[in-house]
Amino acid sequence: MDVALSRNGRIALRALFVLVVLFLYLPIAILLIFSFNNSELPAFPLSGFTLHWYHQFLTNADLKAALQTSAIIAAVSSVGAVVLGVLASVALTRRRIKGRAAVSALLLSPLVIPYVVFGISLLLLFHTIGIPRSILTVVIGHVVISLPYTILVLVPRLEQIDVSLEEAAYDLGASRLRTFRSITLPLILPAVVSAFLIAFTTSFDEYAVASFVVGTRTTFPIYLYSALRFPNQLPQVISVAVVVITLSLVVVVAAEVGRRVAEQRLGSLENAG
Amino acid sequence: MAARRERVRLDLTTPTLLGLPVAWLVVFFIVPIAIVAAYSFDVYSLFPGTHGFTLAAWREFVHSPVYLALFWKSVKMSLTVSAIIVVLAYPLAYYLALSGTKRKYVLLLVLIAPFLTSYLLRVLAWKVILGDQGVINTFLFWTGVRSPGHPISQLLYSRFAVMLVLGYIWLPFVALPIFVSLESLDRRLLEAASDLGASRLQAFRRVTLPLSLPGIMAAFLFVFIPTLGEFVTPSLVGGANGYMYGNQIVDLFGTGFPDWETGSVLAIFLFGIVTVLTVVFTRFLQPRRVAAD
Amino acid sequence: MPEEKDVLERRFSREDLLKLAAVTGGAGLFAGQSGLARAASVHLAKETGRLQVLDWAGYGNDGGQSMFAQYVKTHPKNKPQFTYMGNEADALAKIHAGLKADLFRPYVGWVKYFATSGLVQPWDTKLISNFKNLNPFMVKAGQYQGKQYGIPDDWGFDAILYRSDKVKPKAKSWGLLFDERYKGKIAWFDDIEMLEIAGLYLGFKDTWNQTDDQLKQSQKLLISKKHLVRKNWSSETDLWQLFGSGDVWIAYAWPNDWVQMKKKGLKVVYMHPKEKPIAWVGMFMLLKGTPRPNLAHAYVDAWSSAKSARWLEDNYGYGHANTVARPSSSDLLRALQLTNPRAVTLPNAYLDRDIPRRALYAKMWEQVKAS
Repeated sequence: MDVALSRNGRIALRALFVLVVLFLYLPIAILLIFSFNNSELPAFPLSGFTLHWYHQFLTNADLKAALQTSAIIAAVSSVGAVVLGVLASVALTRRRIKGRAAVSALLLSPLVIPYVVFGISLLLLFHTIGIPRSILTVVIGHVVISLPYTILVLVPRLEQIDVSLEEAAYDLGASRLRTFRSITLPLILPAVVSAFLIAFTTSFDEYAVASFVVGTRTTFPIYLYSALRFPNQLPQVISVAVVVITLSLVVVVAAEVGRRVAEQRLGSLENAG
Repeated sequence: MAARRERVRLDLTTPTLLGLPVAWLVVFFIVPIAIVAAYSFDVYSLFPGTHGFTLAAWREFVHSPVYLALFWKSVKMSLTVSAIIVVLAYPLAYYLALSGTKRKYVLLLVLIAPFLTSYLLRVLAWKVILGDQGVINTFLFWTGVRSPGHPISQLLYSRFAVMLVLGYIWLPFVALPIFVSLESLDRRLLEAASDLGASRLQAFRRVTLPLSLPGIMAAFLFVFIPTLGEFVTPSLVGGANGYMYGNQIVDLFGTGFPDWETGSVLAIFLFGIVTVLTVVFTRFLQPRRVAAD
Repeated sequence: MPEEKDVLERRFSREDLLKLAAVTGGAGLFAGQSGLARAASVHLAKETGRLQVLDWAGYGNDGGQSMFAQYVKTHPKNKPQFTYMGNEADALAKIHAGLKADLFRPYVGWVKYFATSGLVQPWDTKLISNFKNLNPFMVKAGQYQGKQYGIPDDWGFDAILYRSDKVKPKAKSWGLLFDERYKGKIAWFDDIEMLEIAGLYLGFKDTWNQTDDQLKQSQKLLISKKHLVRKNWSSETDLWQLFGSGDVWIAYAWPNDWVQMKKKGLKVVYMHPKEKPIAWVGMFMLLKGTPRPNLAHAYVDAWSSAKSARWLEDNYGYGHANTVARPSSSDLLRALQLTNPRAVTLPNAYLDRDIPRRALYAKMWEQVKAS
């Protein structure tokens, strides 16, 4: 007999799971339905099928500019976060560090700060040292926010890899850098990609901090937020929403699947080697 | 696993490795917060006038009936939301981790995926659903359950709307730490309990629940802390009465008349509370985990 | 060739003398001798670069292009470059943080504040050809100590908009915003003006300069009635969405909001309360130390033309200070009482004015929101 769940228990929990998943995806489905609805107001009864809103948002220059801005910020800040994350993770897992707990706490601390406080603190910082608010200031903020996530992805993977492979390389006379490039990096590559994707989606979607330090440019979330106040923009925004959500779901699933497959393969390589 | 060979190495690379990330965080995280703190004590200001160290803004914060009451209101809202979704997420995580289903990671991904899509867009979806002429109400008119002209008005622009949306946003994320802690549960403990005559319910109460407590605490913290400082959702669906502590901070920095000093006080207070909570909870988590091993 | 140069130089120096006089009045007191010399040299130099305008959303290249089209035509090399101001406090913060703007647009209640702040300088009205057509009462409101610090342009009323098919007011009064019968169907404005309105409703003599005790009463009234409020709106489209979707039946509103809701087919009434509505007027102000004062005057002149005025009234539904212009909509004409140049002052309305203790009002309003 199953020690954790009775048969009825299993059925009940499965039902609960299905209900919750339906609840989670229902609003997204509703957005999907109304993105094709031929009416400016999302309300029942439905008014007929149309692709008009999708066409409208594809020709919306402001929206495209905002998407572009967000993509640039996300790409740059993710690269930064991953680079810093790799440095920090290697140090945390391969080196002896005095005051390791304190250093870990510092590196992970952006996880717990409310973004409203962080956004304001950056605003004050940039005012003080006289850096005008711009894409650069948003990138800086997003690197801080994404860094803990990259570390949380990279550290477990680094701990998982057999250290003796690296040790063997040193024994053979390779420098630390060479070892990293030839041994460690290929093995952690799936995690690096994962970390990059997490940082990217975090930055792309981030509103709070960006709203404080973006200056006059517009990121996609900021565009969304102000568009939510214009009733005639709503149908367009819904179409964008559907596209973005679908894309991110696809990316997330693909990334996770890809990571597992890659790590399995690398694992078998490791064992063979 | 091969034995780790100890080598004595000149550890010069550690400062190089750690230097950049740590420096980045110090300059762009620690220093800004210190500036906010300095602002709250009027040691520093961007506007002309006489300035100098003073506790005046802090004293007003503590003595005024308004600010701490607003903070308490936000605490209550966050507590309610966090408690409900942790309770709801637990059975979901339990099902995934302990029912022996073959596709547990796939199902976990299905559960978590919405969280990884856009936050604002999911709030937008609820705005569309909850309004007086929104999806729910027009559906009720259409099916005749309510007459048009008598929509349920409390759905949108209310405290309820804020809590519903926040719960919806964070539910997927909360399941994760609970799942992790349940997954690492040694089934043999449950088998032993069963051998000793315990029922499933007793085994759950005596073994599973206590051992998954760290996961529950982590989950609670994961949702409580961010929702405490929330301002985006309240501003979109909260109306006048769903106003939260985070909104006041934003308003003090943005509208009316610059009152960055009071805003800084509120920000530092929130930051302090969150830090204390985190420290207390992580201390609380450590000894438990050791005992369970 | 040399003759031309002479003529140019002569015209240049006459204008410069006039400008120096204007600037000296504002800047000389603070800047001292070196400041005067600097100011003089600035004016004698040719003004280059784009005109830096600090303005509200909707008045720049995001919709308001028609308002300054004439300026762009005559000064193609100095096209305006816009920075957004969220509100006057935001503008103040940006200016203090070092933003180099040439002109900006606070509203009439801030004229005295900025005039005495040392941040702005008076205009030379002789350089603004359309000045003579501007409403004299609004022009007066832009003056401080006899100098023209603000050039009026857009204006409107603050009054109450309500659904006549859903709402039966007990009286023509601001009290409708506090009516217990319509809980959850009321929208206030997210601004300290709510304290002014509370003061008018409570009958205080000078609602812009309430005593501590009066302020506490106003605040108490607002806090006690807050549970009736669905939302505090801050952008007009917010309000239109709330009214249009039926979420709200009663709101603090501007004349154009009445026009727009009528267009949507709603049965709405724009009520001037017996305690009197408040009138607001946008005032262009010239920042001190600007290297482009001439260009700034030209820009404001373009904005003040009858053509721009008519566009503003037709498209944004705000009134314009140019008394010659008339909008196409007769509804708007009525709502703004445009045939009455005294519309913005007593006995018709209270013109919004300086609040000596604005910081305190702001704090009290934030506390209302936090309660």
